[in-house]
Amino acid sequence: MDSRPLNIPVILGTTRKGRMSEHAARFMVGQIEKRNGVKTELIDICKLPMPVDNAGEGIKDPAFSEKMAMADALVIVTPEYNHSFPGLLKHILDSCLKEYIHKAAGIVGVSAGPFGGVRAIQDFLPVIRELGLVNIFWDVNFGNVGKVFDDSGKLLDEAFVSRADKFLNELVWMAKTLRYGRDHIALDS
Amino acid sequence: MAKQKSKMICPKCGDEMNHHADKLVEPVRPEDLKHVNPTLSGVIEEMHYCPGCGAVESRRAE
Repeated sequence: MDSRPLNIPVILGTTRKGRMSEHAARFMVGQIEKRNGVKTELIDICKLPMPVDNAGEGIKDPAFSEKMAMADALVIVTPEYNHSFPGLLKHILDSCLKEYIHKAAGIVGVSAGPFGGVRAIQDFLPVIRELGLVNIFWDVNFGNVGKVFDDSGKLLDEAFVSRADKFLNELVWMAKTLRYGRDHIALDS
Repeated sequence: MAKQKSKMICPKCGDEMNHHADKLVEPVRPEDLKHVNPTLSGVIEEMHYCPGCGAVESRRAE
């Protein structure tokens, strides 16, 4: 039995002022923290060095790279801006590659309107795949997010607790399974 | 194309790493071009994971 706790950081994928996604990200951190054998932290892309005069692994930040390397799964919280995910979220994710391979990912969509970021998530899936992450089939969709949290970030709709629970059950299962594979199953040569 | 057979050793803890994936990556830098696999149209990067400490490493397949 692996004694190392699972490491599932939450990436807050927007830098916009007044972002409601921060409430969703902090809620997900809180839900993960309730689980035994799992550790987490909030990674706010707003706080990462993000040069725009280069791209890809050319802007790799050692601290972010280390966090991704030591993660077993990622929860990525993305708002939907103009039917897609924020460009700066992709800019920072593109800075790593080996760190993601055969690790689980779950996406949390956030929108001011009713659809909960589903169009952003659909756009995001090919990116996740190419980065070598394994996306789970559960999402959490915070539609009408202005009614889900109050201004202080307090959850107003308790249904999201059980939705997040289902999402995390699947993410933890996938994270454990993929860690076992990374640990023990060699690629056939 | 022959694969590298030597096990990678974890630079953090010294354990033997597990080669669990090969990833096809686009040649970005000019020096990458000589490593392009013409059949696969890209560079093959071996992905290795340390069961001891969870570190990740990669190297080009030869």
